[in-house]
Amino acid sequence: MSDIGGDFIIWGMAKALGWLLLTIGFYILARRIQEIAKGNPLANTVLVAALPIMAILIIADEPVSQYQEGGIVLLWILGPATVALAVPLYLNFAHVRAAWKPMAVALLVGSAVAVISSVALGYVLGASIETVRSLAPKTVTTPIAMGIADEIGGIPALTAAFVIFTGIIGAIFASTLFRFTGVTDARARGFAMGVSAGGIGTARAFQESLLTGTFSGVGMTLNGIITAILLPLLWLAFT
Amino acid sequence: MAKNKPLALRIVFWVLAFLALVACNEAGNYVAAELRLPVPGTVIGILILLVGLSIVRRVPDGLNEVSVYLLSHLNLLYVPAGVGVLGYVALVARDFWPIVITLFVSTFLATIAGGLAFQFVQRAMDKSGTDE
Repeated sequence: MSDIGGDFIIWGMAKALGWLLLTIGFYILARRIQEIAKGNPLANTVLVAALPIMAILIIADEPVSQYQEGGIVLLWILGPATVALAVPLYLNFAHVRAAWKPMAVALLVGSAVAVISSVALGYVLGASIETVRSLAPKTVTTPIAMGIADEIGGIPALTAAFVIFTGIIGAIFASTLFRFTGVTDARARGFAMGVSAGGIGTARAFQESLLTGTFSGVGMTLNGIITAILLPLLWLAFT
Repeated sequence: MAKNKPLALRIVFWVLAFLALVACNEAGNYVAAELRLPVPGTVIGILILLVGLSIVRRVPDGLNEVSVYLLSHLNLLYVPAGVGVLGYVALVARDFWPIVITLFVSTFLATIAGGLAFQFVQRAMDKSGTDE
């Protein structure tokens, strides 16, 4: 190995570590901003942390692949972290059992409306096929949604962004939508927010009440599992 | 309780719990790949952990603490995925309005439909008195 080659590898690792630390730094800053903004859903930590990194990449004229050398570490942890959803689901099993009928119906209706409306709208409005395929799993929590996008020929990175914006939209408008449609039951509100707006919706639901948040978390996890199983199968059946 | 254990021991349990999560995830990926299931391996991983917990019938303290910690910082783990959109600027620019309209309308519809469906069934159950 020549010295030049060795230096190059070390420089590459240092850069990857730099991006990783920068991401963590912006995330810590984003949490601080969220505290100051008193949980305003617009002060979403993913949004607030990702935007400056994107700006730096654009200004420095660096390809995204450079950044992902550092980001890959966080993407790798996302898998085991998502598996951890099994723990609150297990702990809330009593809730699931007591309300399994409305949950099953709301889960099927909510996820079907989400998938069908996004595919139909994307298609009718003339979006390209990659975009439509990336839109289909957008209500599912990110790592699962990225996996589904991969299965059905969408673009996982695009799906991740759609999931995040879906969550932000759901978190901002859910209470207004519920007011207009007369959804007053805390369990129904929470569950629907979890199904339609995933993790970000769940964070918002916990601000309403503990009960709303708990049902939202259960809705998010069940939606992830059910959509992950049904959507690729349906996609295989229809294409 | 967990708090009474020495820190070194708690760290060991945290590491073990994290490794257990990694193992479930990898096992899920393996099963999905081997059986050619069109389902993300992580979902199989969740199911494996659920089965494991229902066999043990309790959540070990270390696993509970690590899970709460990881789940409260999920947003950090989403950041690289969000930044990744930068690689698809042309596609997003081309489909900008279909994307924006679809995201808003579809999210509104799914939220309302899910909420109304849950409440409708819940009220029907409350009325007939067949709470389970």
